[in-house]
Amino acid sequence: MCNPFFIIFLNITPAQFINILYAFLLMLLLLFVIILGFTIYKRRLGRQTKLWQESIVMLISESIFISDEDEPVDVANKYSKLMQIGNFRQCLINEIITIKKGLSGASTDNLVKLYENLSLNYESYGKLKTGLWHIKAKGIQELALMDQKKYVKEIFKLTNDSNELVRNEAQCALICFYGFSGLRFLNVTVYPISQLQQIQLLNALYLVKGENFEAIKRWLHSANESVIEFALKLATFYNCYQVYDDVIKIIQNSNLQIKLSALAYLKNLPREDSPLEIIKTYSFESKTYKLAILDTLKIIGNEEQVPFLLEQLQDEDDDIKSAASKSLSQLHPMGAAFFQTHVFADQLPWKNIFLQIMNERAA
Amino acid sequence: MKILVVEDEIIMLKTIELRLKKDGYTIIVSEDGRDALKKIEEFDMDLIITDIMMPFASGLEIIEAAKKRVGKTIPVIVLSAMGQENVVLEAFQLGADDFITKPFSPNELSMRVKRYIPIAV
Repeated sequence: MCNPFFIIFLNITPAQFINILYAFLLMLLLLFVIILGFTIYKRRLGRQTKLWQESIVMLISESIFISDEDEPVDVANKYSKLMQIGNFRQCLINEIITIKKGLSGASTDNLVKLYENLSLNYESYGKLKTGLWHIKAKGIQELALMDQKKYVKEIFKLTNDSNELVRNEAQCALICFYGFSGLRFLNVTVYPISQLQQIQLLNALYLVKGENFEAIKRWLHSANESVIEFALKLATFYNCYQVYDDVIKIIQNSNLQIKLSALAYLKNLPREDSPLEIIKTYSFESKTYKLAILDTLKIIGNEEQVPFLLEQLQDEDDDIKSAASKSLSQLHPMGAAFFQTHVFADQLPWKNIFLQIMNERAA
Repeated sequence: MKILVVEDEIIMLKTIELRLKKDGYTIIVSEDGRDALKKIEEFDMDLIITDIMMPFASGLEIIEAAKKRVGKTIPVIVLSAMGQENVVLEAFQLGADDFITKPFSPNELSMRVKRYIPIAV
């Protein structure tokens, strides 16, 4: 069979071919002109930014150390000409945010005052109204970093925006404003919270004190599966013993990610009955989850699970045999020495598995 | 009293410079590690404040250079970001005298500097 494109190509006249070639070269030239124009614009902007930087640095650093006793400087008036240039305003916002991230104490209050005095908060707020997601996300980030809680209503709505990155920024902004209570968006969020976003949220909560564990309990019963998963991560992160019974029920959930998060919680905050609870449904589970159970037992199990683990040595799957052996080496009263006494100790694949574990332990 | 401040973020550098100038110190600034190493050789510093992550030469190299300088032991204060605990430990092993984690208050930095080189009133 011939390629249809090839047939069309063969049917064109030399004049048509030259026309196509011209059109192609014209497009190439146009593309080159656009790239060149954009590069020149970026270079010019870069040079301009360097020129502005000196005034920006002076303006910001002077404002940082201004005290209540000092005579107020009308910065808006002093820089009125430059403030009419959009790129200058953006450059100023960027620098204010850079320095705000590096400083704490009274100086940051002065930075917020400067940001508001120059009406840069309106500039950031305006970005929330655009249709371009990256500008919207930048606007949210700026308002959050500059403690602009007055825009929380608009930002809260954006926690349910159809664009994932806008949602992410809005959710992180709420934590930035209100700490743990900022997580209230979890009550209403309908979109899934991606794994990356869950990490980002936990990162934002890194130094935030946990409170209102009742809310975590509620999120564990959310209709949004990613909220359940995230609530489990929160419960693990905050060592929240209060939700243990809810987590035990969640082990029966059909979503693998949720089940794995529940196991991670139990690994961190086990009770006496936890090993028994997690092996209850073992035989109906997927391979991934079985492996996770065996790995969890290694940490939270005890001698009572040895018969169960010995049973798993007979599994058809070598990965299961290996995971069960690893747990046995921890839980068996004889420890790793148990391998020498095992009836299959000299047979494959047990021989290799046991040898590997012994080597790992020796290392 | 001469202080060398090494920081690649110009706005942060200027802020530290202004704050310490207010206290009456002479400030020499450097935006990158390589330039800082030259200045350590060139000037007789009383204290060095250095960021860790910088282009060309890191804060750790600056500490090493400052501590190897014959004839005078220069105290070094390290500016670190959150989550850089391991690097801070390494800095201490190399001889750093103190550290301050970003975000920090410029007044706190000023107090720490005064501990090493008090200003004559």
